[in-house]
Amino acid sequence: MRKQTLLLAGAALALTVALGTIAIGQNAAGPFTAAQATAGHDAFDANCAACHLPDLTGTNDAPALTGAPFMGAWGKRTTAQLYSKIATTMPAGAGGTLSEKQYTDIVAYILQRNGARAGNTAFSPTTAVPINSIATGRAAAPVPGRTSAAQLSGRQESAPAAGQGNAPQQNNFARAMSGERVPDPGTFSLPSKLGVTLKGNIQNYQPVTEEMMRSPPDSDWLMYRRNYKGWSFSPLGQINASNVGALQLKWMWSLTQNGTLEGTPIVHSGVMFVWSPGNTVQALNAITGELLWENRLGPDPRRPGPGPSTEETRSLGLWGNNIYVNTPQGHLYALDARTGEQVWKTHITDELKAPGGGMFGGSTGGLIIIKGRVLVGMTNCGRNGDDNHCYISAYDAATGKRDWKFVTTALTGQPGGDSWGDLPDNKRKGAETWIAGTYDPDLNTTYWGTAQAKPWRRDLRGSGSGATDYANSTLALDPETGKLKWAYNHAPGESLDLDEVFERVLVDHGNEKSLLTIGKPGILWKLDRTSGKFIAARQTVYQNVYENFDEKTGKVVYRKDIREQKVDQWLASCPGPEGGHDWQAMSYHQPSDALIIPLSQSCVFMLGNGSQTYFEMPGTDGNMGRLSAYRAADLKPLWSFQQRAPFLTGVISTAGNVAFVGDFDRVFRAIDVRSGKTLWKTRLATTVQGYPVTFSVDGKQYVAVTTGLGGGSPQLKPGTMLTEVHRPPHGFALYVFGLPDDK
Amino acid sequence: MTSKFLLALAFAAIVTPALAADYQASLGPMPLDDETKAVIAGRGEASASSDGKTLTVKGAFHGLPSNVTEAHLFTSIAPGVPGTKILDLDVTKSTSGSFSGSFKLTTAQAAALRTGKLYIQINSEKAPDTYPWGPKGTLWGWLLPAHETVGQNVPQQDHWFLPQYDTPHR
Repeated sequence: MRKQTLLLAGAALALTVALGTIAIGQNAAGPFTAAQATAGHDAFDANCAACHLPDLTGTNDAPALTGAPFMGAWGKRTTAQLYSKIATTMPAGAGGTLSEKQYTDIVAYILQRNGARAGNTAFSPTTAVPINSIATGRAAAPVPGRTSAAQLSGRQESAPAAGQGNAPQQNNFARAMSGERVPDPGTFSLPSKLGVTLKGNIQNYQPVTEEMMRSPPDSDWLMYRRNYKGWSFSPLGQINASNVGALQLKWMWSLTQNGTLEGTPIVHSGVMFVWSPGNTVQALNAITGELLWENRLGPDPRRPGPGPSTEETRSLGLWGNNIYVNTPQGHLYALDARTGEQVWKTHITDELKAPGGGMFGGSTGGLIIIKGRVLVGMTNCGRNGDDNHCYISAYDAATGKRDWKFVTTALTGQPGGDSWGDLPDNKRKGAETWIAGTYDPDLNTTYWGTAQAKPWRRDLRGSGSGATDYANSTLALDPETGKLKWAYNHAPGESLDLDEVFERVLVDHGNEKSLLTIGKPGILWKLDRTSGKFIAARQTVYQNVYENFDEKTGKVVYRKDIREQKVDQWLASCPGPEGGHDWQAMSYHQPSDALIIPLSQSCVFMLGNGSQTYFEMPGTDGNMGRLSAYRAADLKPLWSFQQRAPFLTGVISTAGNVAFVGDFDRVFRAIDVRSGKTLWKTRLATTVQGYPVTFSVDGKQYVAVTTGLGGGSPQLKPGTMLTEVHRPPHGFALYVFGLPDDK
Repeated sequence: MTSKFLLALAFAAIVTPALAADYQASLGPMPLDDETKAVIAGRGEASASSDGKTLTVKGAFHGLPSNVTEAHLFTSIAPGVPGTKILDLDVTKSTSGSFSGSFKLTTAQAAALRTGKLYIQINSEKAPDTYPWGPKGTLWGWLLPAHETVGQNVPQQDHWFLPQYDTPHR
């Protein structure tokens, strides 16, 4: 009986496919209904649009789901394969958590957005029709009565009124309460009021001065990587290689769940300031963990669970009596550090809208404050379709008024402007600045890294073999005017989503004033920061994207198949977009002249639309994580160790000869900076992610670090490849460790 | 994780041939995503010796989700870039087992071996029939010059193995 049923089902399926093919040949409707596509629109907006964008054009690690890139990747495959892919892998990091109905609806919506017409037959997981037989990649007309993607995105990007900020969560919460299966039901945040929820009254707050910024008090962690030179090094030595084994938890604080957390606790005079998703800013007593004030700036995370790589900010900044916050939505706030109340608010693009919906320009890379100006970079600004560009901009710390901006792509007539070939200026996109710069007060110069040009594949970009200045470059700017002093392009014509945007660390050896940086290809660069001239370079992990890399000149030559790439061609890339190095910043241990660098070891195959598959880096025995130390003077390797889990925090080091780093598999550890030997470790709630800091209050030294999820390749690659690692989908928290109290 | 790694080390120690290896390979899963990781899994180790004209390869694998169907030597333009099949290996048709082969090398093959452009690829029953990015397969690993491997969390001082520094370019 069962055999007969199967045979009948198989015959019916074959007939359906055959009829479908014939019907399609006659320009008939696609294998889904209008109701499915409409429901799929809602499901897509709720679960997919945060990464793939409301207009399906994709961003960062989320490939485009419409147009030629989608058809190039999926045209020759079937609707059943598309369903299988989405149902098993999406939402990112939570594959299989939606209902079958939600997945079929989403597939129907994607097909419709690629020109397939709705019909009378409902789409099911086994409906197998070649996608290029029903879709063209050209979007169908909007469904009558539907809210546009732009409107939807605008609704979600705008900070809602107090008490109304959790629309997606409320919706999901209500659905969960009614019994519907929704993603990660354990991670819901109940709706909460936005704005100042606890007003502070911090007495005797010591205003932060220019002099303090130039020479931070030993006890404080005043800025992103502690000093203007980006060292991530503390002169504190109470916790040292001899006693760090006794480190114990002093207090912890649960942070806002959902979204993306990659932040830096900032500490000044015993007060710790911390950012968490939803742009929640809190001040805590750094000894006791007592909440001193809270301002929930909003908007809340767009969906439950870990967020994408564009919804965090990596550091706050202090100046005078204010604390400054740049947000993924592009706002820049000054809050009173004593009360948490808003002093001023501005938007880095004056609320410009992006092509296809949403706000043009966000800011995720933290900020740097120089001579009373707040300098911020920009992300979410690299899409085609308008005349806007990415830029670095500066604001008066007292008023929020914009002082200057520097566009990070070289336009026609500018130095480097001819490196984009014949592309018109409105097609010169990318060069985002998603990590805040550093500063040399003596040279009065601020140094920033930039991301690659967009689209990141040169065959899609249309720039040919051009270098696309000032993408993937180091920029030296005058912080008072924004004027470019020099630029150095590390990866001319970059084409594989391999950013060179990360930390610029400023180091002196005698008369040599150098800048050290490392990007996703894993090449450690040393430049003369007075002139931008190349000094030296060293490869730190295996790379195969350059068939020739000259360590004497810094000149790179891409592999032949990369130079000659085509949009429908899969290309191998070692490292892949997880990067040999990513946003997890290195530390410069000044006493030993050692750069301690978190590295990652994974490769990808990638298609023009951003589709990727992952594999182990050759020569690593399956170890994705590596921590390596190099001598800054000559880039000589000092020590290195590797492990399965990649490191997901920046590194800090101290005068006590210890370094701290956390990893994907929840381990936070202390390392002897002289040998790389692990001296102490503990295991925390979920991935240890962010930037550790160390500080002292009343003569006692502490170490703080956050656990959190969300983000792009550094989360996505190990999340797929390390099948033996199991992490809870929540556990965003702040931990503070110290030595045992004296008896 | 540590115990798994120790197990893998012990396994490798058992299967590693007694010959003085000139080359070694660590076999890991071929490109995968969340959809295919259930059928593309496992690990393997191999060693090889060569006098420049002949090549002897021996190795082992374990933890595959389905039985192995075939194993081959491939050549490619660089480690981490897929290439083309050139030689067949004898292999156990199971989820764990061994593989081996002895070959006379052409000049081009010998040069590929010397410069890190030969790799071992093992296929299995449940791995997808076709990938858009290349040939069907489950595990692969490039034959690289023999080098010290110290295991996880053990710091190596001074220089450590990196293919682009420690593999001849010609």
